[in-house]
Amino acid sequence: MKLIDEILRAAEKITDETEILLARSESIGADLKQNDIAIGNRTQGFGLIIRVINNGKIGVSCTDNPDSWKKCLDAALVSSRFADPIPWKGLPGPENLSQEPLAYDNRITPDPDLIMELISQLKSGSDKYPANITSGSASLAWSEHTLANSNGLLYSVKGTSAHISLEMIAGQSTGFEHDASWNLDLIDPEKTGEKAAFFASKGQGGEEIKTGSYDVIFSPTAFSQLLDAAIIPALSGRNVHTGRSFFAGKSGQMVAHEAISVIDDPFDTRGLANCAWDGEGMPVKKIPFIENGILKSYAYDLRTAYRYDQTPTASAVRLGQSGAPSIGNHNLVLSGPEISVFDEKGIFVHDLIGAHTANPMSGDFSVELSSPFFAHDGELCEPIRTGMISGNIFEILFRIEGCSKDTRTLGSSIIPYVRISDLTVIGRGS
Amino acid sequence: MTIPYRYYDIRRVSGEVTQIDVDNGKVDQAGTSFFDKAVIRVLGDKGWGVFSVSGKEADCEKLSENFIREAYATSKVTTVDITIKDTPSSIHSVPSMRENPADVSLDEKVSILLDLYKSIEGRDIVSRRINFIEKDETVSFSDSHGHFYEYHLCRNGFSIMAVASRSGIVQMGYERDHTISGLNIRHRYDLAHEAANRAEHLLDARPCKGGIMHAVLDPELAGVFAHEAVGHASEGDLVKEGSSILKGKIGETIGSPLLTIVDDPSLTEFGFCPVDDEGSETKRTDIIKNGILMSYLHSKETLASMGNGDAGHCRGMPGIEPIVRMSNTFIENGDSTYDEIIETCKSGILLKGSRGGQVDPGRGMFQFNAEYGYIIQNGELTDMVRDVSLSGEILQTLHSISLVGNDLALHPGYCGKGGQTVPVTDGSPHLLLNNAVVGGCEID
Repeated sequence: MKLIDEILRAAEKITDETEILLARSESIGADLKQNDIAIGNRTQGFGLIIRVINNGKIGVSCTDNPDSWKKCLDAALVSSRFADPIPWKGLPGPENLSQEPLAYDNRITPDPDLIMELISQLKSGSDKYPANITSGSASLAWSEHTLANSNGLLYSVKGTSAHISLEMIAGQSTGFEHDASWNLDLIDPEKTGEKAAFFASKGQGGEEIKTGSYDVIFSPTAFSQLLDAAIIPALSGRNVHTGRSFFAGKSGQMVAHEAISVIDDPFDTRGLANCAWDGEGMPVKKIPFIENGILKSYAYDLRTAYRYDQTPTASAVRLGQSGAPSIGNHNLVLSGPEISVFDEKGIFVHDLIGAHTANPMSGDFSVELSSPFFAHDGELCEPIRTGMISGNIFEILFRIEGCSKDTRTLGSSIIPYVRISDLTVIGRGS
Repeated sequence: MTIPYRYYDIRRVSGEVTQIDVDNGKVDQAGTSFFDKAVIRVLGDKGWGVFSVSGKEADCEKLSENFIREAYATSKVTTVDITIKDTPSSIHSVPSMRENPADVSLDEKVSILLDLYKSIEGRDIVSRRINFIEKDETVSFSDSHGHFYEYHLCRNGFSIMAVASRSGIVQMGYERDHTISGLNIRHRYDLAHEAANRAEHLLDARPCKGGIMHAVLDPELAGVFAHEAVGHASEGDLVKEGSSILKGKIGETIGSPLLTIVDDPSLTEFGFCPVDDEGSETKRTDIIKNGILMSYLHSKETLASMGNGDAGHCRGMPGIEPIVRMSNTFIENGDSTYDEIIETCKSGILLKGSRGGQVDPGRGMFQFNAEYGYIIQNGELTDMVRDVSLSGEILQTLHSISLVGNDLALHPGYCGKGGQTVPVTDGSPHLLLNNAVVGGCEID
């Protein structure tokens, strides 16, 4: 805290407002190569991000060396001189928010034995089906973030995370699965290993399919990739007001099937890194982006809300090289009518190859399927060799037939299995 | 007590990143940030121990024993005996820049970009953005064999995005250029015009009809094909783990005799490595020569266990352990002209530009997306199409290359693997692929 005081004191004479984010992190982990642990690793990280505001002009700089904070403050000042001014209405002041960590498990410690245990459970799960491990990993991490500003705000929170992944192969069929949580009880290494082995093993011997129109069941992983490629960018207030969003001008209109909702719920207990404030210290709250098919809200950080005279939604996240706040979401929850998605015949897709190549403006995509199966009678049945699926992400929102009760948390999204009718699949069969 | 390591190395990367974001005529952000990261690797009794710390604590010339001890301790969880091969070690000099970006003030860079921004113009253009990035880094490396290297490299570049909209249709034109040869933002009005024209033309382009057809790939997209379909599958770590369909195929004919694919980290392009990130000398590796699989890309570790190829292809982001990576990957020139290729295709599709791609090298499937394309009918270009992807099986597709052009061009970009992103160049001449699987929303 001495460092924060020092920076705030130095800055107060030369800036209107100043904001400091201090992050410390540590992690340990191990990498599997085939059946053995080939690499053990440990990291120590530090980050200091200083943001200054002068006459509505925002400057930012970051460094990973706390001793060079003066250089960082100077760079932030220089940066503010170039920025275009906006009608700035101030950084938030302190509020009585609980600083009780919402994503911290005190059992997660830098214990190599815990890593070995996770790896051993991954491997034991993978024994359920005959396939070979190609690579995998387990890691445990701790972080502490302190956010302070010249209005007297000072919030600090600790967090933990555990992550496991496994890649397997059987013949020419590959299977990948991963899991992550802040809470050791919420990851399941046995199941993760078993699923990687299932997809590799059961994916063998797939037949080619004919080109045509099929019902498709997206796994949470596959569907979240489509959301990331076009839906989430289209909800960003910045993209809306700069003419880069499909959702611009559609507020209040139907943009999805009437039973579909997309809501950002920062306190959903399934979240990976819940916290009572956002990347700028604004108290977070539930934001209904799409409610019963109707577009209700866009996402704003302070800069964008002030620039376009909108209400801030506390949607600032800290990503990217400069460490400047940008617009994101906390726990984006997709929900729709609950059905048994695997009952009627359809193509199940576990993962997509190339989802990031979708057109973020129009929503058009064509991507290769990964681990596809025909599903029916509640199960994944016959494997499919290859297939390329084409469609439009925004149109798909109208064609959702239903969602599973089960969900998965993938980064900052909480997604069910999603069944879509009549999608074009290009097959190689005749 | 002495530490019983078998090998260690340390790599420290420190420097500055300057970013400028000009969004719809306004400077959204312009400024500089600082980084200094180090990673120490130790080969312990069995496998690797890796320790990442702030660079300010790590002196490459006189590495503190504590760091070696920390890294050694993390190797204790490993369960497999890893050996590494001694490789030739030397450094290429970094070419001098035409105009060092560090000599140009932030003021001047901002005004160049604001001027360039004005050229992104057109009747239906509704959004315009330019992003500039300059990364100035000093890399120092030393290892337990007594090698010590230090070099300075500056990469800079920019992207231009133009969005056009008419009657509810929104399309995007995107152009970029990145280089190690100095400031590259002056007088680039051509790229600004190109981005704006593309966005406008795409408004009138048809969606592509999907199916199996002959496809001509332009040099940029064919470069992505070389990278995704062949480059990744030839990476020694994937081959060793058993997740590459190229495993066990050295010396076999795996593609058209017209096909030669190279990775050359010593080439002074955007993926240039003066020395690789574990101190090995960098040089040209022919992955495929005249259709025959010749070499894998290796690190010291994967060369020791797999053989068949060259080390010098091991790269890491600052503060992260290096893994086998591509650098400058390209398909060598053949002898067909562009006109011959279009004429021979007769009926099919020309795919241009790249929105990226992805591969599952174990399964042998790849996908990549073109920014736009043209339908080829009777050996001539006709209608423009948008949102067109191509996917296929690596081995089958390599045999289906029926013509290779004589107009090799390289394109800079970035490649992600194992959570690490590194600068690369991909390139190729025009290619003709027979019976490719092209994705599109409409089908017969």
